[in-house]
Amino acid sequence: MRATTHRRTAAGLLMTLLTATGAAAQQPSPQPIATAAAATPVAPATSSDTARLVDELAARIEDLDQQLRVLQRKLEIEKEQAVEKAKVTPTVVAGREGYAVRSADGDFQLKFRGYVQADARFVGDGDGTSGPTNFVLRRVRPVLEATAFKLFDFKLMPDFGGGVTVLQDAYADLKFVPWLKVRAGKFKGPFGLERLESATELTFVERGAPTNIAPNRDLGVMAFGDLASGRFAYQLGVFNGVVDGGSADTDDHSGKDVAGRVFFLPFKTSKRETFTQLGVGLAATDGSQRGTLTQPNLPAYKTAAQQTSFRYRSDGTADGTSIADGRHWRVGPQAYYYVGSVGFLTEYYVSSQHVRRGTTATDVQASAWQVSGQWALTGEKESYRGIVSPRRNFDRSNGGWGGVELTARFSQLVVDDSAFPFYANPAAAARTSNDSVVGVNWFLNRFVKLTGQYENITFDGGAPNGGDRPAERGVFTRVQFAF
Amino acid sequence: MRRPLLPFIAAALIAIAIPARAQNTVTLLNASYDPTRELYQDINAAFAKAWQAKTGQAVTINQSHGGSGKQARAVIDGLQADVVTLGLAYDVDALSRIGKLIPADWQKRLPNNSTPYTSTIVLLVRKGNPKHVRDWDDLVRAGISVVTPNPKTSGGARWNYLAAWGFARKKYGTDDKAQEFVAKLYKNVPVLDSGARGATTTFVQRGIGDVLIAWENEALLATEKLGKDQFEIVVPSVSILAEPPVSVVDKVVDKRGTRKVAQAYLEFLYSPEGQEIGAKHYYRPRQADVLAKYAASFPKVPMFTIDEVFGGWTKAQQTHFDDGGVFDKIYEPGS
Repeated sequence: MRATTHRRTAAGLLMTLLTATGAAAQQPSPQPIATAAAATPVAPATSSDTARLVDELAARIEDLDQQLRVLQRKLEIEKEQAVEKAKVTPTVVAGREGYAVRSADGDFQLKFRGYVQADARFVGDGDGTSGPTNFVLRRVRPVLEATAFKLFDFKLMPDFGGGVTVLQDAYADLKFVPWLKVRAGKFKGPFGLERLESATELTFVERGAPTNIAPNRDLGVMAFGDLASGRFAYQLGVFNGVVDGGSADTDDHSGKDVAGRVFFLPFKTSKRETFTQLGVGLAATDGSQRGTLTQPNLPAYKTAAQQTSFRYRSDGTADGTSIADGRHWRVGPQAYYYVGSVGFLTEYYVSSQHVRRGTTATDVQASAWQVSGQWALTGEKESYRGIVSPRRNFDRSNGGWGGVELTARFSQLVVDDSAFPFYANPAAAARTSNDSVVGVNWFLNRFVKLTGQYENITFDGGAPNGGDRPAERGVFTRVQFAF
Repeated sequence: MRRPLLPFIAAALIAIAIPARAQNTVTLLNASYDPTRELYQDINAAFAKAWQAKTGQAVTINQSHGGSGKQARAVIDGLQADVVTLGLAYDVDALSRIGKLIPADWQKRLPNNSTPYTSTIVLLVRKGNPKHVRDWDDLVRAGISVVTPNPKTSGGARWNYLAAWGFARKKYGTDDKAQEFVAKLYKNVPVLDSGARGATTTFVQRGIGDVLIAWENEALLATEKLGKDQFEIVVPSVSILAEPPVSVVDKVVDKRGTRKVAQAYLEFLYSPEGQEIGAKHYYRPRQADVLAKYAASFPKVPMFTIDEVFGGWTKAQQTHFDDGGVFDKIYEPGS
């Protein structure tokens, strides 16, 4: 049938050619060769010659048609094979979203991230004398994250900041279902709202006073998950236990801490965005801390300039050293609210530690709270993660300036009177610190952030003769590169 | 130390809740070779009905199709197929040999070496047989364009290749002559699809080639349904007995708790109903009475087995289709 069709086509073509040739023969040709050819007598074509020519042309057309079809089919197969290959070929990503290698189905992934925070701090004492002014590599953290079989995540994050190597995070997640995942290893305990923010997403150079109370990294195992389409999140874990604001890589064998946190975003799935990022939560830990003369297991609270404003007594003797000696609990509410270009975060925590000095013991409480606000002047949406990416990257050739955010915070830390003067020296340890900050963040792009802020920290107590520790006032700046 | 009990209680509740929810419905995945789509659509519907009537449990069988070798590779690489119904035993063997997913003696678990039906290889030509193709010999003539898939990826293509080889060896007497014959044949192949269904598309829908070397069932399907009155089947003087096998994938069914239903699914293929459905889709049934009933559908053709001519699948695979084998030597892409 295919050959018959081609024969008809060929016959049609042949007739067209013969007609055209006859017509052309009647026209005077400008070409001498054509004239000569026209002058040569041509024998009339017989019907058998025509039939043979038709058959040859049909065969030729069929051959060309097959070649064309084969080429088209080969292209089609190549496309199909390319699609199939894409399904199993791992992809390498290097771009705005970072650097990663992932399997075609996404079940396996290796992400390489990292960040550097280079600070310059110019701090003066309130009485006009010079305070600590220095350049600091606050954090230098390569981050390796892996996913295996889609269900298992791993994270490894050392820190080389300040020239000291510390293993910050090393944990594995088992993701059974969205509402039940299990994390094991070393990671942030589920407590402080600002503590749980990634260091790259902090609004200020240093976290506020409540983070002095929240546990930092600890070893343990934790169940966590999201329910009700993410409107409710929970974390519940068992840990070795750390002092306020502390991290640990080993167990001090003073009993385990249980830590839990619930967080609600009641309007998260609402169609109106007004309250979708309104979150409230409650966190608590309970456990036991016991210390020794060489390792008292009691906290020291620090200022933004990383100066110690409060510490317990310690002179190396049993009678002169306060040590942790029993129950240690923390509790407190937390909340944030982000709408449009503004956002607020607040938290309040109380920590209680049973403390002993010699044969005398008591419960010492410390409390801290903060309220902070931020406003994206350049119109970006604010969130718990800050400005994730500016609307326009800094690029003078395109008139882009990046994103700018104004920030302010007040935070306070108060240590219970029961600590003074027996367990803590009032001449060296401040009872209260009040920390006020105003600042600006400039997001050049999603990788680079510049921070500048003015901080004023005043103290009650902490100086000889019932005096107050000199205020710390200074400018803190940071260049952050995070990918 | 009493407080950590909560997460363990939650985990226990999940462990109890998940199996309870799963009892009234079950899904199976059948990883099959290329041309069986229509067959298993009908088998699946019939089995689901029979299984629900027998047990009260609803079963949904999902299908995955591709070249037989590719399908075996996918299962080894993690495709969670409860059963495989592949084009040749060598590909199922790979699940045992490479994937350790099934026992080595898998072929003994069901009747007829776990092949519920058979088929053979025939030649499909265009209506009127314009190139006068009568037998394998005609496929090596100059000017004949032959369509067959790639034996590296397609089980059907391996059957095609071995059928041609077996013919040549019988006719010309030596393996060297057979190799020369098959090399000439593949010089007439303008395009290699990855699977049998792709080759059918090339021949039937894209209008390429003068002859399609095909599974008998695929050729019959083409003449009856894909292009009625456009094609003819040429039954060669001799062909190969193709035995597409089936197996439960033990590691998968044990993990998913589907062994019982998966086993019943494969046994259903041997039942009178399953054999009838196979025959309607032009697969040669094993049951003599069903075969007799559909005898008119299946032309008589002398057939040799792979064991007789090639010493079994393992040897045939190593000699002809492994990297560096005979096929790699005789086939030049784009020639």
